[in-house]
Amino acid sequence: MKVNVKSWHAVAQWQWDTGNDQDDDPEGDVCGICRVAYEGCCPTCKVPGDDCPLIWGECSHVFHMHCLLKWISTSSSKQQCPMDRRTWVTAERKVGGSKT
Amino acid sequence: MASISARRLAKELHEIQTEGCPVGINLLQADDFAAWQFTIEVMGESLYQGEVFTLLFRFDKHYPISSPAVQFVVTDGKTSPVHPHVYSNGHICASILGNEWSPVLSVIAVCLTLQSMLASCKKKERPPDNDRYVRHAPDNPKKTQFHYDGNSP
Repeated sequence: MKVNVKSWHAVAQWQWDTGNDQDDDPEGDVCGICRVAYEGCCPTCKVPGDDCPLIWGECSHVFHMHCLLKWISTSSSKQQCPMDRRTWVTAERKVGGSKT
Repeated sequence: MASISARRLAKELHEIQTEGCPVGINLLQADDFAAWQFTIEVMGESLYQGEVFTLLFRFDKHYPISSPAVQFVVTDGKTSPVHPHVYSNGHICASILGNEWSPVLSVIAVCLTLQSMLASCKKKERPPDNDRYVRHAPDNPKKTQFHYDGNSP
């Protein structure tokens, strides 16, 4: 039998590598500030992806970068991580991470 | 486009409506994303047995980056709990409503904190500066610079 492919659609899926095993806690993959999925975007952006990236703290907490920066820029934040109130230090982007 | 606060509050409201409130807390009114009301009572043994209070949350468009304005309702025959951190006009001196607010907190988290603040009360009394404060208090408790120092208000 001979098959002629006339057209095809490529389908791809992506997700941020947060370093956490997302299968363990599928409901927990939201930014703690806006409560939108990491794979979504912060409330001021329209398109998820590289234009609305995540930011990692040395304390291991993850947020939409825009959400975190909005918080850190207020005086009431005292430059602290919203989760543990430790001074926010942005971690180097983990390449490869622990995701297999 | 809906404001940042409206999107976040819509999510919180959906969660409340699908999962319900914690025991002792009930949603009274949430017609918009500007002001919500809850009833709050302390379950089990406490100094506030049988008392039901009403909490008013007011949100600005920067919530949750900016904290909600939270107070007890003292109109329409409602009263504020007699507590060392609660003024008779309903204003509350609680650090998480002020300098310890965090945008990962939520309306329900605030309700639970206030519920446990009442539950752990040892003596029903007003803050020592109640009269002076209430006389000059702003309408919005967020405009008050409370001094948080542990047990005394």
